[in-house]
Amino acid sequence: MTAGLRSLGRLWRFDRGLLLAYGLAALFLLGFVVAPLVRVALEPSAADWRQVLTTPRWQRAALNTLVTVGLSTTSSLLLGTAFAFAVTRARVPGARLFSVVPLFLLLTPPFVSGLAFVLLLGRRGLLTYHLLGLETSVYGLHGVWLAQTLSFFPVAYLVLRGAFLAVDPTLEQAARGLGADRGQVLRSVTLPLVTPALLAAALFIAIGVLGDFGNPMLVGGRFQVLATAVYTQLTGWASFGTSAALGLVLLVPAVALFAAQQAVQAATRQRFATVGGRGAGLPAPAVAGWLRWSLFALCVLVTLFVLASQGVVFVGALTRLWGVDLAFTLEHARYAFGQVGGLGNSLRFASLAALLCTALSLLVAYLVQRGGVPARRGLDLATLLPAAVPGTLLGVAFVLAFNGPPLRLTGTGLIIVVAMAISYLPVGYRICAAAIEQLRPALDDSAANLGASKLRALLTVTAPLLRPALAATFVFAFVQAVGTLSTVIFLVSFDTPLASVTILNLAEQGSWGRAAALASALVLVTVAALALLYLVAGRSVRLWGFSRAGG
Amino acid sequence: MSLVGLRKAFGATPAVDDLTLHVPRGSFTTLLGPSGCGKTTALRLVGGFLEPDAGRVLIGGVDQVGRPPNLRGVGMVFQDYALFPHLSVRANLEYGLRMQRVERALRAERVARAVALLGLAGLEGRYPHELSGGQQQRVALGRVLVLEPEVLLMDEPFSSLDAQLRLRLRAELKALQRELGVTTIYVTHDQEEALSLSDQVVVMDRGRVQQVDSPEGVYLRPANRFVAEFVGQANLLPVQVTATGSAAPAGGLTLTALGRPLSARLPDERRPEPGARGLAMVRPEHVVLLTDDVPPPAGGWRAAATVRARSFHGGFERYWVELPGVTEPWLVDVPLGPSLGGTTPASGRPAPGASVSIALPAFAASWLW
Repeated sequence: MTAGLRSLGRLWRFDRGLLLAYGLAALFLLGFVVAPLVRVALEPSAADWRQVLTTPRWQRAALNTLVTVGLSTTSSLLLGTAFAFAVTRARVPGARLFSVVPLFLLLTPPFVSGLAFVLLLGRRGLLTYHLLGLETSVYGLHGVWLAQTLSFFPVAYLVLRGAFLAVDPTLEQAARGLGADRGQVLRSVTLPLVTPALLAAALFIAIGVLGDFGNPMLVGGRFQVLATAVYTQLTGWASFGTSAALGLVLLVPAVALFAAQQAVQAATRQRFATVGGRGAGLPAPAVAGWLRWSLFALCVLVTLFVLASQGVVFVGALTRLWGVDLAFTLEHARYAFGQVGGLGNSLRFASLAALLCTALSLLVAYLVQRGGVPARRGLDLATLLPAAVPGTLLGVAFVLAFNGPPLRLTGTGLIIVVAMAISYLPVGYRICAAAIEQLRPALDDSAANLGASKLRALLTVTAPLLRPALAATFVFAFVQAVGTLSTVIFLVSFDTPLASVTILNLAEQGSWGRAAALASALVLVTVAALALLYLVAGRSVRLWGFSRAGG
Repeated sequence: MSLVGLRKAFGATPAVDDLTLHVPRGSFTTLLGPSGCGKTTALRLVGGFLEPDAGRVLIGGVDQVGRPPNLRGVGMVFQDYALFPHLSVRANLEYGLRMQRVERALRAERVARAVALLGLAGLEGRYPHELSGGQQQRVALGRVLVLEPEVLLMDEPFSSLDAQLRLRLRAELKALQRELGVTTIYVTHDQEEALSLSDQVVVMDRGRVQQVDSPEGVYLRPANRFVAEFVGQANLLPVQVTATGSAAPAGGLTLTALGRPLSARLPDERRPEPGARGLAMVRPEHVVLLTDDVPPPAGGWRAAATVRARSFHGGFERYWVELPGVTEPWLVDVPLGPSLGGTTPASGRPAPGASVSIALPAFAASWLW
């Protein structure tokens, strides 16, 4: 404690700029992360809890949620890992092409997968009804499962791709030299080394699926999960207590997963940091032929499915009445580009949120690792906390916390921007922290030696060196924020419409053409915004580790 | 074991070009050369981590080309050790035995022997990141030795250790290798390491073998200018051959350098034609520096020189001297024993600017091809 006071005193005397930044960051995290969660935790009365825990309908929703999360997380991980292994280690033909397919999916909002599912496989789906003449439908668990897998496997792919690339091939070669055959190398060296990454991806996906309700809403039919229940309780019945309690139920598995992942990470972090280091430049050993070709087949299959599902949305946008009248029309497209307000808000709020998220990620990562400020562990936890909070719960928390004094923010754009920024803070923070760890402390020390204060050192040395990490954070937060539904659906108002929310509403009303057109427009403007960013920011923008050169 | 006509190119440039080499059973052979000379590539070709474009790798008379690394009976110690970070010391040591499905009791016995041999007792439960550099090095070596390989390959295993530790481990490695009698191929760019460890030194440059000889051979009778300058310090002297073959002293030849006759060694069986011009090399410690107050020895080769600089190196003093007619200054190392450093008055050590003469004993120089 006294040490903390002393370091504060030192900051006050020599580094007031950093002290101010520290105070602001701490205040922001307290006000927008900790306080809303405390507020929502206090909302449900004993009666609300009793009702939520005893009503069979909610019990079934909880069970459905668990099943959905378990299935979707497992299948996303399997698919993402196989895909990442195929393009990094198995060197399948066309690996460079395949390596961008999941990224393409990340560029499109997750609920577009759900929308595509309905258009392809729904009651009047292109594949089921028109081609196969089937009356079956995707509505229900299997539809949600498939849509979530398609939405979330790119995350697993991204994380695992990085992990596979980080495994020094010399280790695999050394295992070969010690007598391991190809399968043994995979089982005894490669997979154990990517296990921490697998767990991190599992956590991210599981919590994403827990809190997501775009896909369950679109393809769930009568299959209700907790996230959709929270939404209907709040918006349909205005029952704050019930929806808060339902949201808090989501927090139980989320926090358990979060704690497990933190524990594993703490245990393996140091050990897995490559010992020795300096990779010898050996290529990884080749994988068995049958494996390579099966992975190739998988890549082709997934790519075709991705193309079909994205393509059908564009086609749907130009079709008069999906499933009934397949004639070409520009009517929906005209409607979509008439929704300038919603599209503009999506872009504006998402870019502001991404900016806020990036700045905060950098600041907190620097403060925790190099700032010498007190309560670093608390700062670290508060920043990572949103990773354990399902989006729906965060939405309810924000509605409850900012509906009245001291901060009345409902109906404003600000609340949406802050909610978006907080949702992606943990990921951005991890990206920045990892990048700062790679920077030698001697750089900071020499800046100080040459007369820079810590804040100056951060702005003049650290931040410029971290440009790739900052760009990655910004792009990630931006793309995710554009397509987000789970949190912001509680926060939009008549004055602050968002394209993603409008699309969901249109789809729910059965206006498939308009929904598809607006979704297509959203994808197009997102891509255009990113292209603009590339042109302006140039080389430092690496989209999840992919440079403009595509390497 | 032998390498025959081994060739490996990356793109258009050959990394290893026509490498032919015999490695006697139980010997310690070092591939020595600057970075990029192809020594590591050669080692990887032997280990099976790369496949050659042409040539054969014979171990016990059997060609290994095309065999995967896990079936070659070759143990490799990587430059940065490549210890498995997720496995403990014990698990790293027994990894290869597990892969061979060696039964538990035998596994434990062999690991225990390696632990004792390498002084790793008490560290079995630790993870690689909890070990010092020297300990990591020992685990990397032990991990390979438990498999009792026919050939041991080592790729600059000491390069990331500090100088003191390197000296100690070098001595340990030499003793261990002799005790186990395992055929060893060692890669380094450190000439001192190569000279002190090896039975046979292979000097390589740009993918090609420059000389294969004993450590004394490559140091005292370098084949060419590259070897002379890479293995230690070399003073170069323009010379002309006056007599060779039976006309010259046994095993050597007679040259004319700066107008005086000079006897020199030959690196191999080839003999230059009388009248040929070329370069001879002299090691700095073989040059005798004479000040005016010391009478020159009778006979032998000598020349006038001017001292340009002087530096103190502990055991010896190094002089930079200029010889008229020689472009590069020569290095002369004068040992500082009690007779010189202790009793010679400071005035007896020539200062920069002083005129001195230098002399070469018979056969101090060596002909360069």
